Amino acid sequence: MDLITCSHIYKSFGAFKALDDISLDFPEGKVFGLLGPNGAGKTTLIRIINRITIPSEGEVFFRGKHMTDEDVEKIGYMPEERGLYRKMKVGDQALYLARLRGMSHSDAMSELKKWFVRFGIESWWNKKIEELSKGMAQKIQFITTVVHRPKLIIMDEPFSGFDPVNAQLIRDEMLRLKDEGATIVLSTHNMQSVEELCDSIALINKAHVVESGRIDDIRHKYGSNNVEIVYSLPSGDAPVLSDGRCFRVLSDEDDMGRHTAVLEVDKGTASKELLSEIIQNVNIISYKELLPRMNDIFIKLVTGGTAAVNRPAEADSRIAASQSEE
Amino acid sequence: MNWKKIGVIIGREYAMRVKKKSFLVITFITPVLMGLLMVLPTLIMLYGTSEEKGQSVAVSDGSGIVFPYLESDEHVTFSNCSGEDEEYLKKHLDSLGYKALVTISPMDSSKSVAVASFSYKPLGTDISDRVRDAVDEAVEDYRVRSYNIEGLADMISSINYSSSITSYTISEDGSEKLTVTGVYRAVAIIFSILIYIFVYSFGGMVMSAVINEKTSRVVEVMVSSVKAIDLMIGKILGIAAVALTQFFLWIVLTLAIVVGVNAFIGMDELLGSPENAEQIMEMAGGQADMMGDVMAASANSEMEAVISTISQINFPLVIGSFLLFFIFGYLLYSSMFAAIGSAVDNEADTNQLLIPVTIPILAAFFIAFASIDNPESPLLLWASYIPFTSPICMMMRIVNGIPSWEIWASLAILIVTTFLMMYLSAKIYKVGILMFGKKSSFKDMWKWLKYK
Repeated sequence: MDLITCSHIYKSFGAFKALDDISLDFPEGKVFGLLGPNGAGKTTLIRIINRITIPSEGEVFFRGKHMTDEDVEKIGYMPEERGLYRKMKVGDQALYLARLRGMSHSDAMSELKKWFVRFGIESWWNKKIEELSKGMAQKIQFITTVVHRPKLIIMDEPFSGFDPVNAQLIRDEMLRLKDEGATIVLSTHNMQSVEELCDSIALINKAHVVESGRIDDIRHKYGSNNVEIVYSLPSGDAPVLSDGRCFRVLSDEDDMGRHTAVLEVDKGTASKELLSEIIQNVNIISYKELLPRMNDIFIKLVTGGTAAVNRPAEADSRIAASQSEE
Repeated sequence: MNWKKIGVIIGREYAMRVKKKSFLVITFITPVLMGLLMVLPTLIMLYGTSEEKGQSVAVSDGSGIVFPYLESDEHVTFSNCSGEDEEYLKKHLDSLGYKALVTISPMDSSKSVAVASFSYKPLGTDISDRVRDAVDEAVEDYRVRSYNIEGLADMISSINYSSSITSYTISEDGSEKLTVTGVYRAVAIIFSILIYIFVYSFGGMVMSAVINEKTSRVVEVMVSSVKAIDLMIGKILGIAAVALTQFFLWIVLTLAIVVGVNAFIGMDELLGSPENAEQIMEMAGGQADMMGDVMAASANSEMEAVISTISQINFPLVIGSFLLFFIFGYLLYSSMFAAIGSAVDNEADTNQLLIPVTIPILAAFFIAFASIDNPESPLLLWASYIPFTSPICMMMRIVNGIPSWEIWASLAILIVTTFLMMYLSAKIYKVGILMFGKKSSFKDMWKWLKYK
């Protein structure tokens, strides 16, 4: 069942169209990734779901019913532009935000105490926010987002500005909350975390949904049948792998006799057919389907491009390098 | 609108500000200052003139006519040192026990004398006034006598006349009441200034709070829990509650201070009962002669008139209208302040946007001031109906007494405008608070008004 259904959402600011006929479903109990370049309309869509802005046209449904103001209390939202009242004490602040989310004072108090114990930060209760480090404040921010046990947790760039330790903490907590039945919508540019966390995604570009679905399906869809073969030659003077009946060799690297080749396979070719042809010439060490990284799919769809996905191996290694730098 | 959440917001905005040290300091210091201001003149009159007793002043009277006019009393003793060496006296003032030496020159051809005083510390005004008065009187008498006309002195004193106007206002029921117009003006301008200060300072507080929420980036977290308009209303009402708290504390504390000081010193002396007025006159002027009596009597009736005037002011009406005009004037302006605060990222960017807010409020202030002497002026009349100036300008007219339909009409215009302005401001605010990192102009705000 879908927790949130967005049906033909339009939103314009004056002459500018921020969202143009957006229809999306967020399946309950899953992590949903909302992807798109800056200015694509993600934040506008999130604000519409949160009822911060009203759509020009279209409807949002919560469990199949028209969403109301009361449903907002079932959402926990951590916006990209986030912060806390700097002069306020941590405890007062958390209580204030929890009460605005519709919790009673005593309920909010007992629930907050649990979270503070869980994160080991009970001693912060009477400190002012401005006395906390950025990472500490982020933990408070996360707690205030989820303290009212929301059915839907929306996080806009949740990992930006978090140090790796806190980012991991938030990741673990998100997965734990998902296991407890919460639905999570994640808006991020961090494709690695999308691959790690998300079950399905939607990619928005220039106010339109350009791709959506389960993440595995999407990667297969953009796979373009490339495979990676690691092989060795049967004898020193044997020829390296060359184009065959149902495949073309895109690249071949020789590392002391251990070759890694990327093949573009004709559509509709079964792996059995491909392997039986290759095995006549070389010794196969490993064989794997090359699925494009979300990053490449993202770039291809956004640039409308021809670029990355056709040459997955190169793209792959480049991306791997850039991600390890992060 | 979700009043439960608005209540939570009001509670926070109120508690946060009332607990601040600066609020406590301003709330408690101001009435002390105001109370002091009210009792200070009387205190000075009571104690300022008679601090020292038994001072003695040496007088070297070269004219030979002034000394008899100098009357010694418990405070000052004048000693006749005419003919003694003035230089010696000057050098030995202390050892001779004199506070000062007063020299009076011999009468010159134009029948005038020159008077000088020498002392280590500046001569108090009470002593110098007494000397001057005595010299004036002595010289005048001498001149009168020098005409050698019999009975001239009596003629002159019977010619002397000083008038005072006793003004009565005729109220609607036809009864006449003693009034002093100055009292109306003072009370009117005090209430006008109070509204000006309250609207401006607490409106500005709303703007700072909005900007603060934007710069700390907490605002989007907030509006995901409450409607933007609820947040704005909660903030405005929370700060209004702070203003009203401060106002009532000021009234209570000022009254407490005045009553407390009165109980300590004595009510009559402070409020200036007739006997006291006379007493003060005696102390100050020193002469309980006919003139003194006349002055005391006129001061007495003036005091009576002031009290009579104050008692004629319809304070329940004035305070009631003050509260209504303050509340709606504040709501009108603070919603504008909120809209401006929402459009900027920091306080420095507000200057230009604030012009349309500050111009009308300053205009109202100046119109009120310019109309102190003429509360019937057409300018004030118009300004008391225009909603952006009416809260300040209407107070000027209400104190002077106007038909109640005028008050209701002006208030109705103000209330309608206030709600309209809150509606428009909320539209701007709703969009503005989520615009980060952009300095917005009026053009932008106009555009936001048209967003759905």
